[in-house]
Amino acid sequence: MREKSWMRDYGPIVLAGLLTGVAALMLTAWGNPKNMGFCIACFERDIAGALGFHSAAKVQYLRPEIVGIVLGAMLAAVSAKEFRAKAGSSPASRFLIGLFVMIGALVFLGCPLRMVIRLGGGDLTAVAGLLGFLAGILIGIVFLKRGFSLGRAYPVPAAEGAVFPGILVLLLVLLLAAPGLLHFSEEGPGSQRAFWLGSLAAGCVVGAAAQRSRLCMAGGLRDAFLLRDFRLLSGFAAIWITVTVGNLIMGSYHLSAVSQPVAHSQYLWSFLGMALAGWGSILLGGCPLRQLILAGEGSGDSAVSVLGMIAGAAVAHNFGLAGNPDSVTDGTYAVGGTSAAGMAAVVLGFVVLLAVTLTHLPKKEGAK
Amino acid sequence: MMRQRQLCLVVAFHTTAAAMATEALCRRLGLAGKLISVPRQVTSDCGIAWSAPPELREILEARLADAGVETAGFYEIVV
Repeated sequence: MREKSWMRDYGPIVLAGLLTGVAALMLTAWGNPKNMGFCIACFERDIAGALGFHSAAKVQYLRPEIVGIVLGAMLAAVSAKEFRAKAGSSPASRFLIGLFVMIGALVFLGCPLRMVIRLGGGDLTAVAGLLGFLAGILIGIVFLKRGFSLGRAYPVPAAEGAVFPGILVLLLVLLLAAPGLLHFSEEGPGSQRAFWLGSLAAGCVVGAAAQRSRLCMAGGLRDAFLLRDFRLLSGFAAIWITVTVGNLIMGSYHLSAVSQPVAHSQYLWSFLGMALAGWGSILLGGCPLRQLILAGEGSGDSAVSVLGMIAGAAVAHNFGLAGNPDSVTDGTYAVGGTSAAGMAAVVLGFVVLLAVTLTHLPKKEGAK
Repeated sequence: MMRQRQLCLVVAFHTTAAAMATEALCRRLGLAGKLISVPRQVTSDCGIAWSAPPELREILEARLADAGVETAGFYEIVV
């Protein structure tokens, strides 16, 4: 029997949160949009735009951060002998859930990671998203307790697990060697970007740290509510504190609910959008960041979830579902938010998640 | 925030549903243990594991097999 130290329990996850927060601050300083040093949903949406899956001119860029996160996670997993190619856990349902997680996140204007980064910038509009995310996770936990399961994954050849990271490497090669094949925003968030090598390196560091620590926004809250275990949640808190302190030092902390960068003050739909994202994340077994990490570890199911999210980004922008930021036009403050179609999509998302949930509950006896 | 480290039997699962089923089974049988977040030393598809006294290993293996609860591994580690 030995004493257990706080550092042993919390050190790796807090360090991962610290690194993620610092990386987000650096990327913003290097050119990424304000309060968007990292955003998995936004960056996957930008990639969808770069590949021509949608035509929203302001959000098109092949973000090297996403490539870096997956490659960093893959390298960390291989070095720790944790790279295991596997697949077969309800891929079609995962695609669908991923699609609606993305729609929910884009209605809010950010994934759970960006939600924390927005809060770290003083963006009080993100509080509605945080409350919604909590509500969505609690809904997911109710169904986890009732035995919800997408089924287990099975081992597949190692090459299968390398397909998704390989696709991302090919996309990076396209960005560097044949950029003419891709779409690039000339204005808006997609035009604001750090130098590609810095983005890639930051992504690698975050990917490796998140793989080693199991950092997950949704998992942190799930463990806190379900197990009264606050380790993963401490990573969430470390990002928030790091970004807050960094913004205060750099003079970019603006505590306000108005005029926040790429944010809107339509609180009800921010709440509902993130509730959808939170519930979906619990069903998938992790937030959008975690899905990238698992894809880097060889999970074909998580790769399908990410592809579902990219498809969701295309759907969101092709059908006008994504939220619009608040703006100032001719001196008049205009509240943004989502369209009627976006609201309908969120409601449809809840119906779809409920249907997926009910069809994946145990029939009679306990879950196997 | 100091607490005792001790040797535990950690049961990993492929799915969260199996972890939940294990908790329900052990509660029904009066077997000691609790759900925990999967320790970093254990690789698992599911983020939740079952922690129990190591002396319950044989009983748990048998009871879980009888109940058809699929496990991803039994580990005796200090947590």
